[in-house]
Amino acid sequence: MEQLLAELTAQVAALEASAGVTNTNFAETFYYLSIPLMIIIHAGFLAYEMGSSRSKNVLSSGVKNILAFAFVIPTFYFVGWWVYWGFPTGLTFSEGPMGISGWAYANSIAWGWGESAAYMGPNIEDQASGVFFGAFAMFAATTASIMSGAVIERIQTVGFIILAVVLGSFAWVVAAAWGWHADGWLVTQWGVHDFGAAGLVHAVAGFFALGVLMHLGPRIGKFNADGTANHIAGHNMPLTVVGLMLIIVGFWGFLMACVIVPGEAWSWFADKQSTIYGTPITLSALAFNILMAIAGGIIGSWIWTKDPFWMMSGALAGIISTASGLDIYYPALAFIIAVSAGMILKPAATWLENRGIDDAVGAVTVHGTIGLYGVVMLGIFGSGFPALAIENAPVITLYGQIVGALVFGLLGFVPGYICAFILKKLGMLRVPAAAEVAGLDTVKVPAQGYPEGIAPSGPASS
Amino acid sequence: MFPYDKADWSAVDGPMFMLANTAWPGIFTAIAAVICVWVLVAGNRSEQAQYEKAEK
Repeated sequence: MEQLLAELTAQVAALEASAGVTNTNFAETFYYLSIPLMIIIHAGFLAYEMGSSRSKNVLSSGVKNILAFAFVIPTFYFVGWWVYWGFPTGLTFSEGPMGISGWAYANSIAWGWGESAAYMGPNIEDQASGVFFGAFAMFAATTASIMSGAVIERIQTVGFIILAVVLGSFAWVVAAAWGWHADGWLVTQWGVHDFGAAGLVHAVAGFFALGVLMHLGPRIGKFNADGTANHIAGHNMPLTVVGLMLIIVGFWGFLMACVIVPGEAWSWFADKQSTIYGTPITLSALAFNILMAIAGGIIGSWIWTKDPFWMMSGALAGIISTASGLDIYYPALAFIIAVSAGMILKPAATWLENRGIDDAVGAVTVHGTIGLYGVVMLGIFGSGFPALAIENAPVITLYGQIVGALVFGLLGFVPGYICAFILKKLGMLRVPAAAEVAGLDTVKVPAQGYPEGIAPSGPASS
Repeated sequence: MFPYDKADWSAVDGPMFMLANTAWPGIFTAIAAVICVWVLVAGNRSEQAQYEKAEK
């Protein structure tokens, strides 16, 4: 009997170990696969920006976008990952109530030198740090790509890369530390909830772009002497629209990576998925709400515009307007909010244009305005939900969400405005007028986008 | 609105969306359906107007 019990005990232990291995490998693979899915976002931004450029600028827009991706990743490795873990409690850099933040904690896991380097490279006992870093680096690169589209056809390459690094490896990371971390002061003190990063990624990037645009100025020919705006059409609308659809595809990876899987030492729960705040979520919730939001955003934009560019931008707006509460919205409510976001998209972009801002792809509106709209909408509908999965947790309130929206907007706008001002003074922001008129591909890209030209449209055949 | 008496996630053992266990989910669903129908009606009106314009 004793021998049988011993054998059974050994078998149970072996089964537990085996289940643990399976869970660990599933968890690592879950985040690993979110990375290529998020790279599809960048394929989308690349296509969308190049399509939105005139043919004389198509490759320079592409080069700029590719370089933003390339520079944000290493700079996020150098400092951004540390900022995320060091900043949650604010400028005190102290440890938060969950014990996973602060100067000392960040120093122990997020620098690429000293003892913390053990967590910043291959380590047989650490199957989490690299995939978490990878997912966050993709969030970072997304912020840079959002800003990238707004400034096409007249920004200098190196000046743009500096802006992308400030945004991708610092500005949004501070917002994430404050409002997307269980120790973040916006969460613990104000109950801010932004599950899918409507504010801390989209609004930060959108308002950063606005700060840059105010110094960069409009493209030559965008505005007439009386202040009225001209439409500067990109050279390839189909490429732009497909690019937007690719961004939508990639967002499934983005939002999947916002989920914390169960059963690991670093998980919030042994048996269920959670948000980054430790509150419960299911992937089914995401499937319901993301799909309804995409549909709602397209329909809302179609009502006013009938324009495929704005319809696909509406799909993005649908996701962004509901992103803060994708974990807790009812799908039909997510649809209604997304329809409203799609409807206000074009009027909001026109409002901005009428104030002399040349946002070439509507990034300030789609990501900035709608991002803040989404954060506030959650305050209207989600008030009363606990913001953390602890006893006596702070709850989501409209006031708290408005505070969060203001902080996110400022965390984007202020660094963007200041950095663009400095670059302007250094002569590194805007290309010379002659280069802009000639086309940036001719001036600085040793390749041709369309070496055989683009055939003009012929008369319609009868 | 949190769908449980106490604002605590440990109390959640079922639906966890806003206004669960009230009439609101049904109302939202009805509004969403009406929006779809309204948009199709308005869209068709606009589309027919474009065809008429093209025929003139």
